[in-house]
Amino acid sequence: MTLLRAPSPAVPERTAAKARPRRGRAGRRPRVLIAITALFFALLYLPIAVVGLFSFNSQKSLTVFDGFSLRWYRAFAHDDLLLSSLGTSLRISLVAMAGSVLLGVALALGLVRCRTRLGSLAGLIMLVPLITPEIVTGVASMLLFKGLGVPLSTGTVMLAEITFSISYVTVILRSRVAALNPEVEEAAMDLGATRWQAVRLVTLPALLPAVLASAVLIFALVFDDFVLAYFTTGVDPQPLSVRIYSAIRFGVQPTINAVGTLMLAGSIALIALALFIPRLFGRRGGLDLLSGK
Amino acid sequence: MDATPAVRLDGVSKQYGDSYAVHRLDLDIEAGHFFSLLGPSGCGKTTTLRMIGGFSDPTDGSVLLGGDDVTALPPNKRNVNTVFQSYALFDHLSIADNVGFGLKRKGVAKAEIRQRVGEMLDLIQLAGLAGRKPATLSGGQRQRVALARALVNRPAVLLLDEPLAALDLKLRRQMQVELKQIQREVGITFVFVTHDQDEALTMSDRIAVMNEGRIEQCGTPEDIYEHPASRFVASFMGTSNLMTGTYRAGAVALEKGPALPVGPRSEIADGTAVSVSVRPEKIWLSDFEPGMQMMSGVIRETVYSGPITTYLIDLAPGVTLSVLEQNTARARMEDRWSGGETVEFGWRPEHCLVLA
Repeated sequence: MTLLRAPSPAVPERTAAKARPRRGRAGRRPRVLIAITALFFALLYLPIAVVGLFSFNSQKSLTVFDGFSLRWYRAFAHDDLLLSSLGTSLRISLVAMAGSVLLGVALALGLVRCRTRLGSLAGLIMLVPLITPEIVTGVASMLLFKGLGVPLSTGTVMLAEITFSISYVTVILRSRVAALNPEVEEAAMDLGATRWQAVRLVTLPALLPAVLASAVLIFALVFDDFVLAYFTTGVDPQPLSVRIYSAIRFGVQPTINAVGTLMLAGSIALIALALFIPRLFGRRGGLDLLSGK
Repeated sequence: MDATPAVRLDGVSKQYGDSYAVHRLDLDIEAGHFFSLLGPSGCGKTTTLRMIGGFSDPTDGSVLLGGDDVTALPPNKRNVNTVFQSYALFDHLSIADNVGFGLKRKGVAKAEIRQRVGEMLDLIQLAGLAGRKPATLSGGQRQRVALARALVNRPAVLLLDEPLAALDLKLRRQMQVELKQIQREVGITFVFVTHDQDEALTMSDRIAVMNEGRIEQCGTPEDIYEHPASRFVASFMGTSNLMTGTYRAGAVALEKGPALPVGPRSEIADGTAVSVSVRPEKIWLSDFEPGMQMMSGVIRETVYSGPITTYLIDLAPGVTLSVLEQNTARARMEDRWSGGETVEFGWRPEHCLVLA
């Protein structure tokens, strides 16, 4: 008893009194908000979850889940039309990724280095594709190709996708380029590098995490794109998204569920990769989609 | 002695719009010297350095390195290397690859690169960190890597742009000594830009004091400190008691206060507005010698700071002189003056400078 009473009782009492309301406020999480958040995520992901679930259905029904099977995945694996479309989509995505990253990095470097009024105007114009409704860019691209007498094909999809992906790459990279220390490039030149060597040996390696992250993002965006592809593609071969749309018009096959689930899984993996790449290089920044910076 | 200067600036100007960052600069830097460009921020010292390095094109005049005109050459074609203020290390390369970058560009054989990088890392005492990335190093270590990366190329001239500015005071003092030692060891001409007059005084063979794009004075540290050529140099180099007045017949009548006898100065016309400068440590408070210029004043404040004591003495209302005295053994604390006392003080005539 004496031992317990020995320390001044006033001190612990005061700290407890101070700490209690803080803990209380943090602990009283409003239930309503939790419910709203749960509802939001349910509405957002329920349709996708249904697609995922029914892709494993053993029957053809889209309303009754009969039992687990990989039947529709097997059907997809034997559907030559869908497989060729998948190949087309992958090819379009790879070319669009390479083209837009190449041009986008160059544009980002140019916009940051060129501090004239014309440069800032170019910077503004570059943002326009990001806010233009995609159906407008799709129709406009189609009319342009028709007007020029260019037959629509996989090539025209690639051109259109490259054109409208440059902005994303540039937006992601511009702030990274602006954050670079100009003295580093000067140091490379001071040590005997030409201007181009300085960019290649010093600037690009410093930008590499952001470049890779934007490449992955562009790949995912182009692969998933429907609107632009729909207006600019030829009849055969068609990108996967366009093929799915055409297929649905003649009745929904559960194979589409399997394709959709695979596309979703692939996209999630790519986005995760894009977020993970900067960490791979042990630096912060790059593509910070989570915090919106 | 080699007559060709390592660096020669011949009427070099850098103009931005209507204003000059550097104005018609003529400057010779002797080979093997530790040369400092000293001045306040915005005086044009960094612009001058960048023009020597090739990062900035002069709007007028020419830059010569070892007698050759390099004005039109890009940085990678000049036999100079730079230590940047931000160090500008290549973050994605190891320390060894950072140091070897210049040699690799020049196409030096791999074995020789490895050997020269090793020697250089020994010189800067970072041999154990060759494989590390710059991000894992401390500020002082990064600074030394930047130095090694430039020196390993054995340039004719090494340019240093305030390389110590980012270091804390203690490390800075240590690096000053180290830099000077390394310079003596390698024998390369150093052109060192700084705004810190202590740094310039302790390290340099010669100093050019710059102000508003021009060189105010160029000379040895002693020259510049003891015989400042202008009011700007006197006030920029250390503390100085600067008093303004009018010269007339061997004396300067202060604006506020008595006339100070300064001896006849044939180069100054009567009636010219001048400044008079006496360094605080050149004013004596005791042990006077014959021939000294004696004055008296009232002690306003005594500031004790360990090895020295600073007295602020009112010569006249509005004219305060700062006087330094060493706290040596003979000057015991109880002998010191305190505020309000009237004291005698004096200086040797040659320590009283008249500046136009």
